[in-house]
Amino acid sequence: MVALARKTLIYEWRRFLPAILAVGFAGLLQLLQAALVLGIFGSASVYITGSSADLWAGYPGTQSVNLGRSIDNGVEMRLRMDPAVTAVEPFHWVDADWRGPNDTGGVSVFVSGINTRADGMLFAHALPPSLRQRLNEPDAVIVDRADLDSLGVSVGDSAVINGHRVRVVGVSNGLRALGGVNVVASLTTAAELDTDPTNANRMTYFVARLRHPANAREVAERLRGNHAFGSYDVWTARDFARRSQLYWIFDTGAGAGVLFLAGIVFLVGAVITSQTLVAAVIGSVREYATLNALGVGVGALRKVVMEQAFWVGALGLVGSTVMGAIALAFARSRSVPVALGPGVALVCIMLSMALAIVSGLAAMRSLRRADPATLLR
Amino acid sequence: MNQPSPHTIPPVSLQARHVSKSFSSGPIHHTVLHDLTLDIRAGELTLISGPSGCGKSTLLAILSGLQRPDQGQVVALGEDLTLLNTRALERFRLLHTGFVFQGFNLFPALNALEQVELPLSYLGLPPGDARRRAIASLEEVGLGPRMGLRPSELSGGEKQRVAIARALAKEPGLLFADEPTSALDAANGQIIIDILHRIARTHGTTVLCVSHDPRLVGHADRVLAMEDGRILSDRVSSPISTPTSGIEEPSA
Repeated sequence: MVALARKTLIYEWRRFLPAILAVGFAGLLQLLQAALVLGIFGSASVYITGSSADLWAGYPGTQSVNLGRSIDNGVEMRLRMDPAVTAVEPFHWVDADWRGPNDTGGVSVFVSGINTRADGMLFAHALPPSLRQRLNEPDAVIVDRADLDSLGVSVGDSAVINGHRVRVVGVSNGLRALGGVNVVASLTTAAELDTDPTNANRMTYFVARLRHPANAREVAERLRGNHAFGSYDVWTARDFARRSQLYWIFDTGAGAGVLFLAGIVFLVGAVITSQTLVAAVIGSVREYATLNALGVGVGALRKVVMEQAFWVGALGLVGSTVMGAIALAFARSRSVPVALGPGVALVCIMLSMALAIVSGLAAMRSLRRADPATLLR
Repeated sequence: MNQPSPHTIPPVSLQARHVSKSFSSGPIHHTVLHDLTLDIRAGELTLISGPSGCGKSTLLAILSGLQRPDQGQVVALGEDLTLLNTRALERFRLLHTGFVFQGFNLFPALNALEQVELPLSYLGLPPGDARRRAIASLEEVGLGPRMGLRPSELSGGEKQRVAIARALAKEPGLLFADEPTSALDAANGQIIIDILHRIARTHGTTVLCVSHDPRLVGHADRVLAMEDGRILSDRVSSPISTPTSGIEEPSA
């Protein structure tokens, strides 16, 4: 079989280049916007992804980690009783109001009260042991480097949270929050900052470490059935992180924005690609008509066009994968929040291939002009 | 052995029976072929000549199954083409007909061998057979040494020979040529005519050629002169191979 589609693609590559670029850039745009959205909204779950806990126990139906309500302290006992659990730790979340030493007005902050031991689970990936150690000083807090300006402080300064004086003892990296500012404190400090009297003997979350993290899903299933300590629910860290991210993506309308933009990118890419493929078909229409005169069926000619569309898609995707990898590496090096999993990347790639296929179908229509009778005039 | 003897009359392989065709553009109705009846024989190079617009290309399109007549019947190799649907007609053309056009219509990306192999691969031939046939066909038109070249590296005459080889490799019973020499100089035109003539003689192929090129007239076994959609004269001439001179006879 003579590889007409491929040989034409190689020989007349200039003709096909716009289509390859259109598919490539469409793929690149899809990949980058997905990575950006996932990166930005991924920080909604930094409390979970930055910690080493396998299970999270919290108020039933909590849609996002920042929306937690307090649960009974007895849940800690319930978790500890399970033989699969090796450690349990409380997480005290306080929505608070910050007043800095400089004129920054009130800033809404999220105080995370955590276990400061070196083997603590919360923010195990985000805070080194030396930094955690400093939280043991009375009224000590840590803020993120990126938030120093908006809080109007530097390390060593004092500020007021919920009317209580605190002191900034260090800065963290990668603890930026969505819709506010993260402040990390010890459990003791956080309890002092919590002005809600109903939270006595209650805690926002309890997190647990498992002997076999791979069994997290089964253990969570087992633990959530019990109501002996009031209502609470148990999720695996992965599920809870995912739920928090999805809440932010859809609650803020960013999800709809992404879908809308993806549609526009798809449309523009398809227009350019199909026009290029149509031009390529018309450029060879006399040759196609000759083949048809010689008895090669229209179906076989359509297959040639679709094969070209496939190769245009495949080459475009190689381009967008390479460019996307470079762009993401660059973004990471500049601490732009980007995150892209294999599943989402696959969806972007399939969308671009669908773009090429749709364009091929559109170009196939122009094969109607390949009427051999027109060659005789 | 398989060459038809000059004295036996070769069989009729292509027939048109009361064929009419007209085109209309807007209010203007133009009849291109007027109730035309015609027999064309195998093993001969038949030339339809006439001025532009006389309907000769339309006649070729109808006789070759590329177009349907408004009225009448076309019987090719014993099959009534007017009864076949589009798919069956494509199949008939794949198995039995070859085409050579004025423009050579070669794919720029393919070399001469691939141009010839391409239609063969759709015939369902094993790749080895397709290649052997393509090579034999290119050698027959004298392009054996140049079969690795692309159209951009070939002269006009060579391109037309590739187009002939492409049509010939299918071993068709019917070979149609539309103005095959019009784009070529005298020497190359001569080569093309000789090849077409030889194909008719050695393969027993029905070669039907449409042209207003006067150089072709002396080389055809039979010349049909057309004007205004009718055949004016039908002259059988074999100036080299047979001693009998051409017979002038009016058309039906």
